[in-house]
Amino acid sequence: MANERMSLKETLCRTTLWMLAILLICVPAVGNAANKCPWINEATASGLLGGAADGLYTPAATGQPAACTFTEASGEVKRTLRITVEVAADPHAQLNAISQSCGPDVVPVKAIGNEAMVCAADGRKGSTAERIVGRVRDQVFTILIGTTLKNDPILDRYTLKTNVLTAAEQVSGNLF
Amino acid sequence: MKCCFCTSVVAACILASGLVSVGALAQQEGTAPPPPPAYTHLAKGAPPVEDTPAQSAALAAWKAKAEQKSEEDRKAHNALVTPSYNFHYGKGNPYTPGNIKVQGEGFIQPGAFPTAEYCGTCHQEAYSQWREALHSNAFRTPFYRTSVNMLIRDPTRGIAFARHCDSCHNPIGVLGGALTEDSKVDRARFDSDGLTCATCHSVLSIDSTNGNSSVEMGVPSVIVDEKGNRIPGQVPFAQILRHPERHSQAVMHDFLRTPEFCAACHKANLPGPLNDYKFLRAFTAYDEWQQSKFSQRNPLTLYTADFTTCQGCHMKRAANALPDYGAKNGTFASHRWLAGNTAVPFYYGFDAQLKKTIDFLRAGNYLNVDILGLKKANSNDLIAPLGKVSYKLAPNDSVEAYVVVQNKNIGHSLIPEVRDLYEAWVEFTAKDSSGKELYHSGFLKPDGMLDPRAHSFTNRPVTDQGEFVDNHRVWTIHSVAYDNTVPAGRSVLVRYQFQLPADLNGEVTITAKVNYRHLRQSYLNNIFGKDHPAYPVVELASRSRTLKIGENEPEAADPADNADWMRWNNLGIALLDQFQYAEAVRAFTEVVKLRPTYADAYINIGLTEISWEKYGSARTAIRKALSLEPDNARAHYYDGLLQRRAGNTEQEIADFRKVVDLVPQSRDARRELGITYYQHNDNQAALEQFEALQKIDPDDLSAHYNLSILYRRMGKPKEAAKQQAMFVDKKVDPGAPTYSLDYLRVHPEISTESIPWHMHSDFEDNTGGRHNGK
Repeated sequence: MANERMSLKETLCRTTLWMLAILLICVPAVGNAANKCPWINEATASGLLGGAADGLYTPAATGQPAACTFTEASGEVKRTLRITVEVAADPHAQLNAISQSCGPDVVPVKAIGNEAMVCAADGRKGSTAERIVGRVRDQVFTILIGTTLKNDPILDRYTLKTNVLTAAEQVSGNLF
Repeated sequence: MKCCFCTSVVAACILASGLVSVGALAQQEGTAPPPPPAYTHLAKGAPPVEDTPAQSAALAAWKAKAEQKSEEDRKAHNALVTPSYNFHYGKGNPYTPGNIKVQGEGFIQPGAFPTAEYCGTCHQEAYSQWREALHSNAFRTPFYRTSVNMLIRDPTRGIAFARHCDSCHNPIGVLGGALTEDSKVDRARFDSDGLTCATCHSVLSIDSTNGNSSVEMGVPSVIVDEKGNRIPGQVPFAQILRHPERHSQAVMHDFLRTPEFCAACHKANLPGPLNDYKFLRAFTAYDEWQQSKFSQRNPLTLYTADFTTCQGCHMKRAANALPDYGAKNGTFASHRWLAGNTAVPFYYGFDAQLKKTIDFLRAGNYLNVDILGLKKANSNDLIAPLGKVSYKLAPNDSVEAYVVVQNKNIGHSLIPEVRDLYEAWVEFTAKDSSGKELYHSGFLKPDGMLDPRAHSFTNRPVTDQGEFVDNHRVWTIHSVAYDNTVPAGRSVLVRYQFQLPADLNGEVTITAKVNYRHLRQSYLNNIFGKDHPAYPVVELASRSRTLKIGENEPEAADPADNADWMRWNNLGIALLDQFQYAEAVRAFTEVVKLRPTYADAYINIGLTEISWEKYGSARTAIRKALSLEPDNARAHYYDGLLQRRAGNTEQEIADFRKVVDLVPQSRDARRELGITYYQHNDNQAALEQFEALQKIDPDDLSAHYNLSILYRRMGKPKEAAKQQAMFVDKKVDPGAPTYSLDYLRVHPEISTESIPWHMHSDFEDNTGGRHNGK
């Protein structure tokens, strides 16, 4: 009888441990899918995109920076805020390399991180976007905010410029 | 109306400039904003405009709608925020460890606070100044974020603990429930504005002078109705312009002009809930002011001055450059709050703020640097005051220079507040006629670090492992290894010893400067890494003297020099603080010679002799002071101490009573009078004094201790227990000095600095090092 009780206890114990293990595996995945962005929260991203945005955080992997992507979709219009962060051995050089992709219209930005620069990042299919690349110590970040709608009344060029700076201040502030 | 003012300013900044600045997001330097709505000031003394019944009804309707919206928004905000909020300190303490409170139920939605741009439409001067000032940048700067992020990331703490800091640095975030792990609050609405107009101007009352944001915030309102009821949120400008008196009633409170209001945040402690240790005083510029001559609340100050508040120095009125309906006679109380922060304007490129800050630091005769005297080796004679006496120097002489730095007109210590981050120090040089350096103390090394043996007015907080808390991780502080601040009104003597070269035949110029920078290099390195630009170093005050080989004759005084009696007096004060009692008495005696009717000279002698336990001669000096000035509160205070010693209780009480009558907010007199009554079993009278003392200084240990006993005797066990608990929490941990000793043992250069009477020298010391760092 005592052995049976022990056995039942053991079974219950093992089942509980398994359930806990499954939960532990699942929780981070669910968390990532929801919003665990370390640099900006979903409410702030939603404000910058002009509507309720869904966030997805992808931790850094080999050769890939950590990234947060927030998307706000209204009908066919898709507005996106994408942030990447990676630790670089030579952050200044890496920042310069990234800024090369900005083209000629790179404007240095004062008072964002250690150094930063802003550039237009319009897509080929009429999408408009603004981008900031910068660094805080050895952490190099890129922030892109854009819309698929040309002449978007919610994210017009002026708002894009303003919002990308606001996003950069949030992100760099959390990286310090 | 999404604020055309702001929009135009931002657009101008972004489009017209080749260099975009976040600091310039809403900044207007060099850009003219559109004019404010038209308004004609009422003639002085004219009655307020009377509303027609229709206008009254319209305002009432607006109020009803605004109140309904405010309440609905707040309920919706709480429904969103509360479920996931981390109530680390319990449901009833959502803002702990901060002391801030807000009117009404639950968190308040950030949108309830009118934006700075809204206020800036009519208050353009205030807006433009505020945008560059520390208050607007209280949260977002890297200098703050780095520290608070460490607290948030600390595995034993977290974001809930950051409410302690953000209650002052980002009150809208704290009150809005944004400081939690899974925040549901759009932070872009307030993070960039730190302390915005509607935070200070929405405070309804000062809860106490305990600091840590000890205020009660009202539901923000920019106007009241005809009955004085606050109307929440923004209203059309026409309403304000029609009734500026109602606008004033909503946003201007008399306490805004008092030091107690500044105390809400310029006084901070590290409470047990933050550090899991005990109450530690972090800083208190307020108490330092209260103890300074400018408060006129402390009869024991060494000099006297006109009453001046914090605002009197940091919010001076000046002609406004931009339209501002709050201006009076074309002048406006500065909303730049000029003080010592050069790092923030440097980082953001706020050139006007930086220049004005440096000008402020250099103006006002705040500090006096005096190369008061020389001593030659093998002689005890002080050649002083320099410039007034003749003396001879020869090659190879070993010279000791006496530099006296007087905190002359700062209403708080040099340096105030977080002196683990700010850095002021004495730079001393001796150069020959060709400019060759003979001795240099207080230099900056190529990596920007300060000479470790410099005389700096900083401190060294340490952990329970005796390690310097270099990153402002204040929750790890357990002790302070040394604190070389100069309290308001006091002086410090810094001694430098150097040798004149054997082949010297010309002149030697010695210079003493007090330099200041915001922030220490290692802290800047913590923030940015080592590859950051050099931050400004400001020379606050300096004095040079030329020493000739051979005969030196008296010379004309510099206009900035103190009078001779004050030079001696400052030396005496400095020597007293360095426990050199005999030399201090000699210095004060020189003051008596120059000003025989100056009562304070005798009081200073008496005070020194009390410290020296020479009560007989102390009594003689104090009596002389009282014969010169029978109503001198300071003299009565020290006479009270002497009467106590002599057992003359009646006279002791009379003396302290006199001081309290003359200066009711004297904490020292209240404390001593309370002790006297207590010792003579007059419990009620003692209680009155300790309760009064606690109102002046809520942290006074003597008040906590004695009140706990007195309440118990009077059958008030709850009150007694409360006082006892505060006493236990606030009294010094007897183990704390060992943490300091652990640090000092491995830092001989700082260990030397922690000794009041020490020498800076280019001679080899017993640690094998040379004090000039060579």
